[in-house]
Order: sequence, then C-alpha cells, then structure tokens
Amino acid sequence: MKKFLQNKKLLTSFIVVFVVLIVLGGSVSLRNRRNTPLLIQSLGNDIVAVGSRIVGGPVSLISGGLNNVNDLLNVQTENNHLKSQVTNLGQTKAENQALESENKQLKEALKIKDTLTGYTPINASVISRSSDTWSDLLVINKGSSAGVQKNQAVMCNGGVIGRIIEVNAASSKVELITTTDKSANRFAVEAKTSNGKTVHGIITVNSDNGLAFTQVVDSRKLKKGTKIYTSGMGGNSPKGLLVGTVAATTRDSFGLSDLIKINPSGDVNDPSVVTVIKREVANN
Amino acid sequence: MRILRKWALAIALFVALLFDGVLAQYLHQFLTIGRYGASLTLLPIGIMLIALFDDTNSNEIWLALGAGIVADIATLGIVGVYTVFFPLASWACQKVARFLPEIFWSRLIVVIIGLTILDIYSWLILTMVGIISVPVKIMLISLLVNAGWSIIFFVATYWIWGNLAERYPFLIDLNAYR
Repeated sequence: MKKFLQNKKLLTSFIVVFVVLIVLGGSVSLRNRRNTPLLIQSLGNDIVAVGSRIVGGPVSLISGGLNNVNDLLNVQTENNHLKSQVTNLGQTKAENQALESENKQLKEALKIKDTLTGYTPINASVISRSSDTWSDLLVINKGSSAGVQKNQAVMCNGGVIGRIIEVNAASSKVELITTTDKSANRFAVEAKTSNGKTVHGIITVNSDNGLAFTQVVDSRKLKKGTKIYTSGMGGNSPKGLLVGTVAATTRDSFGLSDLIKINPSGDVNDPSVVTVIKREVANN
Repeated sequence: MRILRKWALAIALFVALLFDGVLAQYLHQFLTIGRYGASLTLLPIGIMLIALFDDTNSNEIWLALGAGIVADIATLGIVGVYTVFFPLASWACQKVARFLPEIFWSRLIVVIIGLTILDIYSWLILTMVGIISVPVKIMLISLLVNAGWSIIFFVATYWIWGNLAERYPFLIDLNAYR
C-alpha cells in the first residue's frame, strides 16, 4: 500500500480512472432520470443544433438535388400506385368524417373530454444523427419551447419510429425504436387476432436487430400482415399509433414463448421530417 | 484576427463535429451493410492527425479533452467515451509521431488502429452502462466496415488537417516567431 501511494504515476492513473467512472455513472444516471438535461448541457446541445442547421443547409441542397433525380426516375411507378389508391380515398374520407362526427357526439353525450386516442402532433425536421456505429439517435429541431417532452412518441411516414429521450429548449434527441438500449421505455402495443380478440404486449428488439412483439398471451391467431398499434397503456403515447405489421411468428431461442417479428411501418432508416406525438390525456 | 488564428483548430474541430452529425443523417444508408455499420469519424480523425502533424504542442491534448466533452454531450448525452479517448489518443499520437516516418501511409495505419480502438472502447462503455446490447460478432464485423469507411474519410481530410495543424497550432501565435 505504501509503495502504491509513493508511485505518483500509478496513483494519478488510479485517481483518473476513478473520476472517469464517477462522471460516467453520474451522467448515465442523469440521462435516465432527469426530464430535462442540466442547463449547461441543454445550452451546448442547442448551440450544436444551430450549427448543424447551418452546416446542414448546403448538404441538404446537394442531397435534395440527387433525390429529385431519383424521384423523376420513379415517377411513373409511383403514379400508377397512387391511381389505384385514389379510387378508394373518397369513400374512406367520407366514412372517416361520419365516424369522427359520431365519435364527437358520443363523447359529448358521455361527457368524456380526453381519451387515450387524443393527441396533438408537433412537426419537426431531423437535423443530425448520431455519428457512431452503435447508438440510434436523431436530433430534431423542436424542443421544450414547442411543447416537446421526454418519452413522447415520434412518427415518420405513418408509423412510430422512436421516442424522445432528451429535451432542450430548441432541439430534442430521439431514440429510435430499433435501439438496443436496455433502459429504454418500451411501447405498449395491441393487435386484433383473427377471431376478433385484442392481444396486448410490448415492442422489443430481437438479436438480429429487428422489431418483435413480445409478452403476448395468444399469438398463434396473429396472422402475417396483422397491424400492430400502440395501446396507450404505457402512459406515454396515445392509443392507435401504427407501429408495424406482423412479418412472421417463430419460437424464441429457448423455445418457450412465441416471438412475433414485425416489419416497422415508419421510416427508421432515412427519416427527414418527423411528427412528435403529444398525448392529450395526462401521464399521471 | 490573431485570436481567431490561435483558435482556428478548435473551430475546425467543432465544424467537423457538426459535419459528423449532418453527414451521418444523409450517409446512414450507405454506412450500414445489413446489421453491420460504420461510424462517421471526421472528428476523431482530426484529433489524431493534428497530434501526428504537430507532436510538440501539448495544448492540443487539452483541445482534445474539450472536443471530447462537447462531442460526448452533443452526441451520446453521457460523458466518458470521447472525453477519455480523445486526449489519450492525442497524447499517444504525439508520442508515436516522434519515431514514425512523416508519410501518408504510416499516419493512415496509426489512425485506422486508433479508430478501431475507439470503436471497441465505445462499444465496451455503452454496453457496460446498458445503452446498447450489440453481440460481439456484430461488433467485430462492424470494425471491418468501419475501417473501410475510415480510409475514405482519412483520404478526404488528410491535407485539410495537415495544413490546419501546421499553419494554425492551437493557442500558439506563429507571428511571434517571425
């Protein structure tokens, strides 16, 4: 012990490692527990976000030009697909309006103000992405000043793609649904089985980085293509947000329970504009 | 202007951090091959190249520490990955540069080894704190993808960092020696 204390290099190294571990542990704890980061961290994040928007301008111009060429090449295929969809659109719109009106009247009759399905969308642009291989994080250009809060669901192209994990004044960080973060909140979801019953579970990420619908009681009646929606039971996201469709049902690696693989409906790979979902029913 | 010259490297590293995030957004589809992915490493390459080009300026280790703190806060939201790696890498590169031939290829090898260590270190720390859960096999194959992309980023930025490190050493006013 005396020799250890007399060896200045060894002692300094030990102290440095100790300090690093404390700082690391402290920052991880802050990341998971606090609803908003420390003021200095929030300010730093916003400065980087503003810088990213300035740098991102010319980059998006170049990228946009290339995308336009690609869009022109695909325009005929897309047009044919949209033509087939447009015939059903009028009927669906009329049906939707009738249901909306009926729903409003029923809510008024029952004196129900907010339900699990109620939400306010906040549109935002993605300004940057985590540059490292491992983490799945996006930075968006809306923060607490626009009403964004921690744990709100984030959607892109009609499907859930992630959740807000850090909120600054003018920017926020989104953790993608494909994250392998063990401490991340999972989406509580539900789906209708072939016999009309509703089954509940949560969304997890399986070993091959795909999405899975787990903790389901009776999964055998979930056919391929069944749509999976948020159930609103997790306390953070509203009910009825599309998460994905059933791709296949297999057994887990232990052979004990069913593993339902899901094709995500949202664009997880290349999101540029996203919608943050602000749930109307209070969290508590 | 004289102050800006002294801080030119710090500004360049900040711009590299911004480009890392913005380009990752646009290049993400190309950086990943199936389950394996690569990082955008303009900032780490910059830190190591600055130390390899200018191995006498100890201020650059402090610059690396500052860049590491900013990078950690802005990207991962935890302090301890880049904050530890950047100053250590800067110090190690300055030591290595004293007996390394001052040529492109030797610097490329040092930087690729450094980036591989960074990838393993970040995987280790993020796994340890539970932020990721990536199997070892995926990590090892991703290292190869990462090395491939790192060569491209190294070639693209080598002369920029070389010029900046030689003309604008951090917190040193070269005019005072002229």
